[in-house]
Amino acid sequence: MTLDVLDADRIARPETPWSALRRRVSGRYPIDPFGLDPQLADLCVPLFRAAVRVRVAGGEHVPSTGAAVIVSNRGFGIAEPAALGVAVQRASGRRLRVVGAPDLPFLGTATRRLGAISSSGPDVASALRAGHLVGIPLAPTWLRTGAGDAPVAVARALTLTPIVPAAVRAVGRLGSIVGAWEVTFGPMVTLPDPYDPNDPLAAARFTEAMRRAVGALLDGG
Amino acid sequence: MKARVLVTGMGGELGTRVAQLIEAREWATDIVGVDFVPPRRRLRRAEFRRIDPRDADRLSSFVADYAPQVVAHFGVYEPASRMTPASARERTDSCTAATMNAAASTGALEYVVIRSGLEVYGPPTGRVSVPDEDAVPAPTTPYGRSLLAVEAAAKGVALRCGIPVGALRYAPVVGSHVPSPLGRLLRLPVVPVSAVSDPPFSLLHPDDAAHAMVAAIERRLDGPCNIVGEGAATPWQAARLGGRVPLPVPPGLWRLVARATEVAGAALAPHVVDLLRHGCTGDASRARDALGLTRPTPTQDVLRELFDWADVVAIARAGEQAA
Repeated sequence: MTLDVLDADRIARPETPWSALRRRVSGRYPIDPFGLDPQLADLCVPLFRAAVRVRVAGGEHVPSTGAAVIVSNRGFGIAEPAALGVAVQRASGRRLRVVGAPDLPFLGTATRRLGAISSSGPDVASALRAGHLVGIPLAPTWLRTGAGDAPVAVARALTLTPIVPAAVRAVGRLGSIVGAWEVTFGPMVTLPDPYDPNDPLAAARFTEAMRRAVGALLDGG
Repeated sequence: MKARVLVTGMGGELGTRVAQLIEAREWATDIVGVDFVPPRRRLRRAEFRRIDPRDADRLSSFVADYAPQVVAHFGVYEPASRMTPASARERTDSCTAATMNAAASTGALEYVVIRSGLEVYGPPTGRVSVPDEDAVPAPTTPYGRSLLAVEAAAKGVALRCGIPVGALRYAPVVGSHVPSPLGRLLRLPVVPVSAVSDPPFSLLHPDDAAHAMVAAIERRLDGPCNIVGEGAATPWQAARLGGRVPLPVPPGLWRLVARATEVAGAALAPHVVDLLRHGCTGDASRARDALGLTRPTPTQDVLRELFDWADVVAIARAGEQAA
C-alpha cells in the first residue's frame, strides 16, 4: 500500500493527482507526530523547486542518513529556509525539518504540514532522536551580512548529533523570494577537545562554533 | 525474581489484559486484582476481589493483608469512559490513596508501576508539541490533574519506601473493547473537529499498553515513560478514515457541541476537547530504550481497528448454525 511507502525522512515522487485526491478524501495518508504530511509535502516539492532556484556547493557534507542539524544564516524573510530545504533535497534527497513553525492558527498548521517544527528545545531534541535532519536558522541579520546568534533554547539539543554549517546567499539582483540562491554546506562542526554532552558549557561552545563556521562560509563566498 | 502482584483496576480492559500476561510469567507467585466490576475475560491463576475503590477502608485492609511486593496500579479511571467525571475522580483518588498507603505500610513492597497519560503535559500551547519525559507537566484538564496527582502519590511511596516507581504516560488507549470517550466520539456519524487547526494526535493499542506495563515490572522502570503508538493522525483525517463526516467547530462553540454529543451517546470530556483542538503526542524514545517497545502499533492502524469493529454482531441461532 502506498500509505506505507511514504517516508517522513525522504522525498518521494509526487503521486498522480487522481490518486492523491482519492487518498486525501479517504484519509489514507501518513502524518507524523510533529504534523508533517509527507504526501502533501511531496506534492509541493515541484512548486518550491520552480519558485526557488538554488545552486548547491558542498552537498557531500549533508548526511544521507541519520539525525543531524544543519545550521544556516538568515536574512529577514522566509526565503532562506525554503532555499535551504530545496538545497538539502537536491544534495541528499532528504526532507529538512525547519525549526520555527509559528504558533498561529492556519499558518502554524500549514507550515507543520510541510515539515516545520517548533523552536522549543524539547521538540528539536525529539526530532533528532527520531532521526530527522533538522534545519536551524540562526537569528536574523537584517542587512544579510554575517551570521546571527544561535538560538539558546535549542542549544542543549545539539551536543549529541552532527552539525553541518550552511551559508545561504541571494545571488539574484534583488535576492527576493523568487530570486536565485546559492547554498554552501561546510564540513561538520566539532569541538577540538573531548566534552560531556550534558554539560551546558559544551552546548554554549557548540553554539559559538556553529556561528563561527557559518560566518566563515559566508566570508569564504 | 519472585513476586506477589496486586493489579488494581483489574475489571477494566487493560487491567484484565495485564493480569493475563502476568499469569504467564513464572516470577508471579500470586496475582490478585481488585475493582468494582469483574474482569473482562477468564483468568486462570489470578484471583479477583470485588471492592469498590470508594470503600477505602475495605480496600486498605485487603491490600495490607495481602502485602503485595509489586503493585500494577490501573485504578485510574478516565472521565466519561465508564462513569461520570466526578465519580471517576473520586474512585481514582480513593483507589490511589488507599492502595499506595496500605502497600507502603506493609514493608514488603518492592516495586510500583502506575498508569498515567500524556494528558499530564497539557495542551502544546507552550510550543512543545512532542514532549519527552523531561517536559514540565502542566495539565489543564481534570483528567490531566488527576493523573498528575496519582503520579505524585506514587512518588511519595518511592520516597517513603526507597523503591523504584514507574509511571507509564499512555497516549489515549483506543480499541474495539476499550470504553473510551475518544473512541465513542470518533464512531459517531458526524465527528466535531477544530475549525482553526487540525493538530496531530497519537493513539496506543491496548495490547501495547499491557505489554509495556509488564515490561516495566520486569525491568523495574523508574520514573515516567511515554508509551505512544507510532505516527499520528489528525481529527479530520481520523473522521475520514472511518467514513465519518468531519464537522468544523469554531473555538467558542465547543461547550454546545459537548452537549450535542452527550445527547448522541458520546460524552465529550475536557481532555478529549483538548486533544481535538490542540493535539496530543509524545516522544516515545525512552519506551524504546528502557522497555524494548520498538514497534508499537501505528496510530492509524489503531484507528482502523476501531472502525472495523461492527456495531452489531449478529449471532446465528443454533438451528441456523447446524443448517
